[in-house]
Amino acid sequence: MRRIRRWAPGLLLVAPSLLVLGIFVYGFMGWTLRLSLTSSRRRDINWDYVGAENYRELADETTLTGQRFAIDVKNIVIFTLAFVVGSLVVGFFLALLLDRGVVGESFFRGVYIFPMAISFIAIAIVWRWLLNNGTGDQLTGLNKLFSLAGLDFLQSDWFKSDSGFAIAAVALPAGWALSGYVMALFLAGMRGVPEDLREAARVDGAREHQVFWHVVRPMLLPVTMSALVILVHISLKTFDLIYAMDLKSLKIDTPALFMWFTTFEGGFFGSGAAIATLLLFGVSLVIIPYIWYSVRAERRS
Amino acid sequence: MRAALVVGKYVALLAFVCFFLMPVYVMVITALKDPAQVSVARMWDLPDTVSLDGFRAVWPKLQNGFVNSVLLAVPVSVVSALLGAANGFVLSKWRFPGADFVFPLILFGMFIPYQSVLIPMVQLMSTVGLQGGLDGLILVHIIYGLPITTLIFRSYFTGISDELIDAAKVDGAGMLRTFLYVALPIAPPAFAVAMIWQFTSAWNDFLFGVMLTSTDYWPITVALNNIAGGQQVPFHQVMASALLACVPTLLVYVLLGRFFMRGLMAGALKG
Amino acid sequence: MAGIRLERVTKRFRGGVVAVRDVDLDVAPGEFMVLVGPSGCGKSTLLRMIAGLEPVSGGRIFLGEKDVTDHLPQERDVAMVFQSYALYPRMSVRRNLGFGLRMRRTARVERERRVAEVASVLGLEHLLDRRPGALSGGQRQRVAMGRAIVREPKAFLMDEPLSNLDAKLRVSMRAQLSLLHQRLGTTTVYVTHDQVEAMTLGQRVAVLRDGTLQQYDTPQNLFRHPVNLFVAAFIGSPAMNLVHASVSGGAVSFAGTRLPAPSALSDVDRRVVLGIRPTGFSPSADNGWPTLEVVPEIVEELGDERYVIFELDAPRVDTEAVHAALEAQSADDALLLPENRARFTVRLPADVPVSVGEPLRLAVNPERLYAFDQDTGAALS
Repeated sequence: MRRIRRWAPGLLLVAPSLLVLGIFVYGFMGWTLRLSLTSSRRRDINWDYVGAENYRELADETTLTGQRFAIDVKNIVIFTLAFVVGSLVVGFFLALLLDRGVVGESFFRGVYIFPMAISFIAIAIVWRWLLNNGTGDQLTGLNKLFSLAGLDFLQSDWFKSDSGFAIAAVALPAGWALSGYVMALFLAGMRGVPEDLREAARVDGAREHQVFWHVVRPMLLPVTMSALVILVHISLKTFDLIYAMDLKSLKIDTPALFMWFTTFEGGFFGSGAAIATLLLFGVSLVIIPYIWYSVRAERRS
Repeated sequence: MRAALVVGKYVALLAFVCFFLMPVYVMVITALKDPAQVSVARMWDLPDTVSLDGFRAVWPKLQNGFVNSVLLAVPVSVVSALLGAANGFVLSKWRFPGADFVFPLILFGMFIPYQSVLIPMVQLMSTVGLQGGLDGLILVHIIYGLPITTLIFRSYFTGISDELIDAAKVDGAGMLRTFLYVALPIAPPAFAVAMIWQFTSAWNDFLFGVMLTSTDYWPITVALNNIAGGQQVPFHQVMASALLACVPTLLVYVLLGRFFMRGLMAGALKG
Repeated sequence: MAGIRLERVTKRFRGGVVAVRDVDLDVAPGEFMVLVGPSGCGKSTLLRMIAGLEPVSGGRIFLGEKDVTDHLPQERDVAMVFQSYALYPRMSVRRNLGFGLRMRRTARVERERRVAEVASVLGLEHLLDRRPGALSGGQRQRVAMGRAIVREPKAFLMDEPLSNLDAKLRVSMRAQLSLLHQRLGTTTVYVTHDQVEAMTLGQRVAVLRDGTLQQYDTPQNLFRHPVNLFVAAFIGSPAMNLVHASVSGGAVSFAGTRLPAPSALSDVDRRVVLGIRPTGFSPSADNGWPTLEVVPEIVEELGDERYVIFELDAPRVDTEAVHAALEAQSADDALLLPENRARFTVRLPADVPVSVGEPLRLAVNPERLYAFDQDTGAALS
């Protein structure tokens, strides 16, 4: 087929990338999955087959592993909820404030988004301090600010809290880092609504907030979905932040942390691989539909 | 009524500015304090005297990591961008059968949790002798940066007209020459976006850094974490080191923020 | 100089759409041939197949004596002018012009000579170091043409190169194109949807509809001897007047009028679609022509002449061929207000007294009557 000559050069140029990604992404994913079906422990990988044993152990709350994993699951759910909802709300609100144009918009936008440019390690270092739970003359951080403002009731033990919701405190630095990004997404979405549509509504007699509710808001669904998916997948992947905040603390343990400890400190490769595979599964649940819809939408346009 | 709303809007905006800058405030004033002044209880107080003692003390500990990160981030950003440009060009303007199927597969690589590839990656790197030094880390960042740079360039090239490529074909250029003479010359904006994004990504990474390098080759994030986690390290030094670690990426962000933003938006798949 | 020959060329897209169906064309060396038809008729696809940008699903393409059907665009020796000009944005005009020669590894001295020559022919010398972004539309168009000319190819392929210019510029550019062709004598295939452009530029014109070649002939023949209803309605502006009529006993009647039937239908008894061009009438004179009395509804003044429009007591001709020719999607698309009576447009010199509502007697040239089959649209006369 002489036609091959048309596209063969292109394929050849991308082939190395495809090969490399095939190995480092899909090959490794499969390798990890296979590893999770072994009983590898004590830093020694053996390729036996124990079926879903590792997974069963994670689900079994009578084992140490299972107990810790149960805490992890609870934590990741709380964290995801707090982080995602918080970021969406703040990001949306900021976009709302900036949408109609304000003096110094570039400045505001620049300030809200800058956390995206710095490492989570640095973020954790500062926020560890801000969320310090010292009392009395050791009172400091946000707690001290609240006290100065007369808002003592807002004080908390934050991520050292025994309430079982300690991880929600970590949603603060995470939200601090990502809200600006969400704002940028919403702002792009709001500004993507053609002005003609808004003007037609105004001429038809709608007030500004009605224009927003009836014309702009319905068109924000895709953006909201995007933001949601991105935030959820970041939430599941979060590692650096928690590691640097308080790495040995079970109170803020998550599957991502547990995987690291059990594999590289405990040597339980099989178990670690199982957790990693579960994480992959969780992320895929949101990402695969997202990519599917994005690609479909692009094809349609 | 109108005026009250406008005032309210600016008050809210400024309140959030305070929220976002508050940690920066703490970081900066702590870094500038002299050792005697530093204490948890006096976190919010401005320094009585400005002292660069923290920076001076911590820089030797951080210097190696800083250099390593530069040696990491620069090659990564350049090579990732070049490969992304080639991939993006082919996937948008010189498609092969199945190109539209292959692209989502590439894209997925951008979203995977690194935990799911970490074990085999470490195994492979140590087997081929690339663990410990910067080479393996650079390689890994380039590879896992392929999806986002490919996405950036593909989106960019999709925006140029097909007729331009047709004209090059009729003028006698094959794929490679069309890429070199027609596509690359108009790609500088996309290069800026891809390189800045990859630079930031590589500079701020921790997980790969801590897994693949040994002490001498630690990138700055790992060095920073050690300083911060170390016992009895004075707070002003910790904050100073955090500040130093953030400087390059912040500088890039401030000076070239426009491109940074575009990289951000690219990752949202035109949400 | 090479001719271009298309043998049963077909293009089938994925999904089953047949854009071009069994087209046979023979462009003589040095000829200026125009491909014309409504949007979606396959003319651009056909052009792209000749260029090699679109692989061929069936049939063969010959450039001169060579079968180039399987050749990549880089391997054919044709030059193309695009609708959007497609100038390389980061290259100067000089480098744009010389790009094709560079790709073919022409010696630098030769390349520079040709670029300079073409630049002077097209008046681009003072623009050679500018980038396309700094040029006006007309200048860009000239650079696009220059890029094609400098290659001295076997053929020029032009894809609606004048569409992006405003009306007046388009008319003057048309004349320039004709002059250029006279000078260079290169075989040219020119695509347009504008039948006026086709008629004025083409030595021969190929009319396409839905991927099929309708008629390939000189402009005069297309105008005077259209082979079917579509060609008749498509060529000529204002469009040919059409009405359903019945032929019997050597006469054709419609709306209360009887006219002598065209000779080919002298002893036939059938229904036809009758066509009369706006220029097929004359203000009643004593030339023995049959006449009819009409009541003008609209009079459009054009200075030296006027268009007089009147209604007939007969239904509008509503066939698919007519819709396609008028580029309407359906019956509704062509009308602002729904109606179904036929309307005729007649071109008259301005000195004839005409007023809306006043009965007017018009003579019809019996030699210029056309008849078409109602179902197939084939010409019957």
